[in-house]
Amino acid sequence: MTDKHSFLEVKDLKKYFPSRNTIVGSNTTPVRAVDGISFKLKEGETLGLVGESGCGKSTAARTLLRLESPTSGSVHFKGKNLASLSEIELRNLRKEMQMIFQDPFSSINPRRKIGDVLREPFAIHGFKENVSEAAIGLLEQVGLSSDYVNRYSHEMSGGQLQRVGIARAIALNPSLVVADEPVSALDVSIQAQIINLMMDLREKLEIAFLFISHDMSIVEYFCDRVAVMYLGKIVEIASIEEIYKRPGHPYTEALINAVPGMESGQKKQKLKVRGDIPDPSNPPQGCSFHTRCPLKEKQCEEMEPTLKEIAPDHYVACFLKEK
Amino acid sequence: MSQIELDVRNLKVSFSTPQGNFLAVNGINFQLHSGETLALVGESGCGKTVSALSILRLLPEPPAKITSGEIIFAGRDLLSLNAKQLREIRGNKIAMIFQDPMTSLNPVLTVGEQLIETLLRHKSLNKKEVLKISAQLLGKVELPSPEDKLKQYPHQLSGGMRQRVMIAMALACEPKILIADEPTTALDVLIQAQILELLENLKKETGMSMLLITHDLGVVTEIAERVMVMYAGEGVETGATKDLLDSPHHPYTKGLISSRPHLGSTREKGQRLTEISGSVPTPHQRPTGCAFHPRCDWSTEQCKTKKPLLQNTNQNRQFSCHLQPESI
Repeated sequence: MTDKHSFLEVKDLKKYFPSRNTIVGSNTTPVRAVDGISFKLKEGETLGLVGESGCGKSTAARTLLRLESPTSGSVHFKGKNLASLSEIELRNLRKEMQMIFQDPFSSINPRRKIGDVLREPFAIHGFKENVSEAAIGLLEQVGLSSDYVNRYSHEMSGGQLQRVGIARAIALNPSLVVADEPVSALDVSIQAQIINLMMDLREKLEIAFLFISHDMSIVEYFCDRVAVMYLGKIVEIASIEEIYKRPGHPYTEALINAVPGMESGQKKQKLKVRGDIPDPSNPPQGCSFHTRCPLKEKQCEEMEPTLKEIAPDHYVACFLKEK
Repeated sequence: MSQIELDVRNLKVSFSTPQGNFLAVNGINFQLHSGETLALVGESGCGKTVSALSILRLLPEPPAKITSGEIIFAGRDLLSLNAKQLREIRGNKIAMIFQDPMTSLNPVLTVGEQLIETLLRHKSLNKKEVLKISAQLLGKVELPSPEDKLKQYPHQLSGGMRQRVMIAMALACEPKILIADEPTTALDVLIQAQILELLENLKKETGMSMLLITHDLGVVTEIAERVMVMYAGEGVETGATKDLLDSPHHPYTKGLISSRPHLGSTREKGQRLTEISGSVPTPHQRPTGCAFHPRCDWSTEQCKTKKPLLQNTNQNRQFSCHLQPESI
């Protein structure tokens, strides 16, 4: 039995990419896609990772699974440091950590039958017996009939194919699934089906989820806790109940306010954010959000705030909350 | 009732494909009043974009063919105009903005070069005046330092800025109608909020009408006064936004509303979302009777065979369903 608290622990994880437009010999700064993030995940818990495009949420997830090698920092999964593992040890551990991607049409091989796609995880990890039965069992678990084994991806709709993506992810009984925008490529009426399916499987198979999304309403629905990322850093992390009631960071508040509302009746004073996300290869000095923050003060331009606990298990990196 | 700016009557658009002909739009009717925003809402393949493109005759013909209907604008049927007459209307009286501002701007021309094209085409102005107006337009869509932006190329701008440029281009000739096809779908939430606010302000300022195409009911609530919900090439329900969302009469509308998680709604731990079962039918295999019946929780025998007619509950509300709204 692993200790619940040390299920997944990410410490000061960094991933820098070399800047593309380097002239040989010149000294350019790298793009700091993920710039020192730390969080913990308990067994069976779901953490949402939210932010705008380019904030580093997908890179964070990929680095965490060692699909990218980190620049620095550590990831402990069930007490093991992923960075110190050999290729073989890592491969063995990968059974436990799986991923669901945004676009099922590009993440499932169009030249292979669905049955082959679902048998592949077993083949990679050396399971040989009853594999075809297992593939059919997986299809049933995600609500597809067994005759889909002989189909190709182009014969299926986006929603059906995303079910296959989920089936592939749960094939080896993982304890952690990273879902990178799993419903944003789908139609509205299909989104609910997929969210429901993931909720059912999460409960049945006791999977911990890292759920990457830009949709604050789905995150509220699906997650237990949420981490808000901005320019490679986590600016706020707290439970769903806490963060939606008392958002600590102006950026979080703006993200929640920006959800186009079906609740137009209760339109509050909206916090307005101007401009775009800055270039991550040249982030602003001080608090990286100060260029867009409607509440910024003098010190925000000079010093960088760090995560502080403003309520139990509610961490915010903002000077305004420190007063 | 305010004046009718655009009147679409019984529009049918068919596409010829190797698998045979199919109707992408199967007889839709709607009116756009002056100064209002009407939203066409539906999922992919429901025909909302095809409807919008038909108005300006922007569909490639063939494979597309407008098989019947009328589109009345300023007393004339747009479907009866020749190419030259249409050019006088496109970009001038009716303008359009698209979903992806990167692919709809020309990457090898500067923002300024693209902006003045519309103005030079429709207005008798010299180049100097045109440049001045272009800078003013960019200022109007709240782009910082508009003079510099004129000299930049699309790749130097962010997604939100590009969409602002698209809006500036569309507004260059002060159109009566702006057709916006998923204008914020490719943008981040914060930028989406900015663009929606901008569109809303510009509409108030210029008094133009807007036809908004979207899949997102949230966006509809933000800026549309009226909505038409589309399913499988047909308008299934039309009404005032608030009215329609508060009391949907069509099962599909009801399903769309409840399948979306509401922000701030109190949820029980592990409570499931209400889902619409099945998936959107392909245009080649549209179900008989009511096209929604295989996915409908309330469908009866007659739904499978008989197509429901459009019912009017009161002046502003229409829906096509065999059932009475109280029973769903």
